[in-house]
Amino acid sequence: MRQDELERTLRDALCREVEATAARLTGLEDRVIADLGDRAPRLGVYGWLRRLLAPSPGARWAQAAILGATAAVFLIVGFWIGAERAPSDPADLRAASRFTAASAPVNDERVLFVLPALNAKSVSVVGSFSDWEAVPLADEDGDGIWTARLPLPPGRYEYAFVIDGRWWGQDPLADGYVKSFGEYSSVRYVGGGGDGA
Amino acid sequence: MNRLRRAAILAAAGAALLAAAVGGAAADASDLHRALMAIPLAAEDRILASFELGLRQDGFPADDLLRLIERLAAAPGAAAEKEALLLTLSRALEDGLPIDALLGKAFEGLARGVPLTVIDRGLSQRRTLLVEVRDLLYAKGVFGAPAGAAAVASALPILRFHALVSNIADALGDYLEGGGSPLEGHLLYREVRDRLTMLRGVTLVASDVDLVLPRIEPGDLTRIALAAFTG
Repeated sequence: MRQDELERTLRDALCREVEATAARLTGLEDRVIADLGDRAPRLGVYGWLRRLLAPSPGARWAQAAILGATAAVFLIVGFWIGAERAPSDPADLRAASRFTAASAPVNDERVLFVLPALNAKSVSVVGSFSDWEAVPLADEDGDGIWTARLPLPPGRYEYAFVIDGRWWGQDPLADGYVKSFGEYSSVRYVGGGGDGA
Repeated sequence: MNRLRRAAILAAAGAALLAAAVGGAAADASDLHRALMAIPLAAEDRILASFELGLRQDGFPADDLLRLIERLAAAPGAAAEKEALLLTLSRALEDGLPIDALLGKAFEGLARGVPLTVIDRGLSQRRTLLVEVRDLLYAKGVFGAPAGAAAVASALPILRFHALVSNIADALGDYLEGGGSPLEGHLLYREVRDRLTMLRGVTLVASDVDLVLPRIEPGDLTRIALAAFTG
């Protein structure tokens, strides 16, 4: 091949390459901008906060909703912590006594209270676990055997049954009995040597 | 800057709500005061001061006390009788004694419809027992130490010490209320030993029971029981 033919061939090849590249670059800037526009901006926590707190009229309802939800979360967490510190259920209040807190295990047991009372209309149990407020027993199948399972932490509890408004202090399943104000109460130890029923 | 201020207000409001929700769970002095106002009292200041003293105790049963005041206010009986009962609790608190067992006894008496004077008589005897048992343990070298205090082997954390005092006094009180003789030292000792043994490792720390039981003599308990009868 002669020298001039070689130069022409090389020039043509370079021109074709440049034209092909130029065609690919046409509209590149627009395509990049369009592509970036399709991507959601990454705001991060601070960005979201800034957006939520921005003083635009449209964001007012969103701000109010977020504020309400945050308040609700704080309240729920607060009440949960409060309940952990001082439960308000009467059945659990004695359980949360400081003397129980001084002991090692504080795992509630569901303690069964059973009383046969064939013709009774209502039966409840009152005791030191509920500040002596009545906790009802149930007789769902009507066989005259009244039962209740109460969550009690380890400890010693005095109690009595109340049958149709009449106190009945001697539970045959009790671990012991004490006389209190001239009447008998039953005693149940939970989590220790005698668990009664 | 404005947004930062809003964020700070939001955080502060949240913290306030959290604190209110947590704090709302336990009764405080103002709750007790409010409840006391339902009962005409001559010695309200003394009673309230003793309750505030109690609120400084670790694990003070403020909710139970509040409920008792409310139930007492609703119970039939003269205001003076209700005040006498509250003063018995006050005296116990002024002596730095645990009142859990006293509250339990008062709740039981009210639920049974026992006359207030009878409840108070029972509480007064139990308070005397608490004082005597506490003093006995002191005399035997067993103490309650406040949290963080340097302790010797027989100085127990105050809650554990109070648990011992309360259970020993309660066992003696139950024995006496059941008609047991205060002169039967060995029976008194058996009641105390049985109670502590049943609760050993359950609500009483085992080493505390092992520390106390060998130091108590039947004669000590006879003296305490007699003091409860005469006190």
